[in-house]
Amino acid sequence: MSFLNAEEPSACDLVTDFGINILWHPSLGMELGDNLQKLLKSCASGQTALDILVFEGSVVNAPGGTGEWNRFAGRAMKDWVRDLCKVATFVVAVGDCATWGGIPATAPNPSESQGLQFLKRKAGGFLGTQYRSKAGLPVINVPGCPAHPDWITQIVVAVATGRGGEIALDDFQRPKTFFTSFTQTGCTRNMHFAYKVSATEFGQRKGCLFYDLGCRGPMTHSPCNRILWNRQSSKTRAGMPCLGCTEPEFPFQDLAPGTVFKTQTVMGIPKDMPTGVEKSGYIKLTSAAKAASPRWAEEDLFVV
Amino acid sequence: MSGSEKDSALLQLITQTLETGLQTQTEPFPETEVLFGEILTQLRHLDPDDLKSKLVIGGFINHPYGPDKQRCLECMYFLVHRKWCDLPELSVPVDAEWWCRLWRI
Repeated sequence: MSFLNAEEPSACDLVTDFGINILWHPSLGMELGDNLQKLLKSCASGQTALDILVFEGSVVNAPGGTGEWNRFAGRAMKDWVRDLCKVATFVVAVGDCATWGGIPATAPNPSESQGLQFLKRKAGGFLGTQYRSKAGLPVINVPGCPAHPDWITQIVVAVATGRGGEIALDDFQRPKTFFTSFTQTGCTRNMHFAYKVSATEFGQRKGCLFYDLGCRGPMTHSPCNRILWNRQSSKTRAGMPCLGCTEPEFPFQDLAPGTVFKTQTVMGIPKDMPTGVEKSGYIKLTSAAKAASPRWAEEDLFVV
Repeated sequence: MSGSEKDSALLQLITQTLETGLQTQTEPFPETEVLFGEILTQLRHLDPDDLKSKLVIGGFINHPYGPDKQRCLECMYFLVHRKWCDLPELSVPVDAEWWCRLWRI
């Protein structure tokens, strides 16, 4: 559904400007029932070329490894996934469920869910570490809950225009172009982060959300404040803490009450530090930043 | 009386109250979010004008605390220029050299 909101390029652009033939999509596909089965079988047999398989949702293995809890087009979804991954030139996993299992794979994982090549942080997943698509690449992971639509379409266009082999991936097989910087990169609250001024309630326009409200922007890899949502804003810009949804551990702390929108601390110091920051350095920085903070940092800058 | 005058008067009152040796609950320090939340719950149940109970439950002291000399100045809730604790459950004027057990950085 996120994909349909894409703007640069849009889902229509994929067809009209880049000549992509979308064989099937849950909202756009014309085939139903027997016709869909025929199409899928045609792809699995190689009769119809499958250049890019974009998969969304976790691979459900329950009960007992059969996958029968998630049936699709007459058989277990996981059987279609295995067959289609064998013939696809490129495979793109979209969203946390397809990449690392997502919320369904959170312990105790009753649906025995997996991502295509990861289960949370552990490599392997449904297809195994050795899996390579026909192009010789592992699954390209575009995580997020949801994934930003433009991340999806831009990767699909890169692949469709013959630049798939140039997509540099990080250790979690995420395109580096999107997932090297942090959610915090470009956040309008960075001044407040620097001067250690905290937001203490949702929607406040002053203050950083990291110190008290559980924001994971400083340790989450995503371009949410570079490629804005709906071309307008982002969670943190709107006063909502980043939940870290592009990282394999999402959802953090197993969604235990009192943990999601509260910065976890040990003796008053954040348990999870901004990436690359040591505890002792953090304490020194806090002291210096507070002492140096200007008056305006305590006020609402964004007057309407 | 303007807002800043009210804040100054209240700061003076709290200063005097702490100087008289008010015994506050500096221990236990809330090591986890659950314990932190329990203190906040206690504070929320107070009469808004019950300043003394707020200071006692919050564990206010008028000097730095512990071997690391923790103080309001480093706390995330402290607004340096306003000399104010911005934690909604406290919302009182404070001095940079004070400390309470809701201290976080």
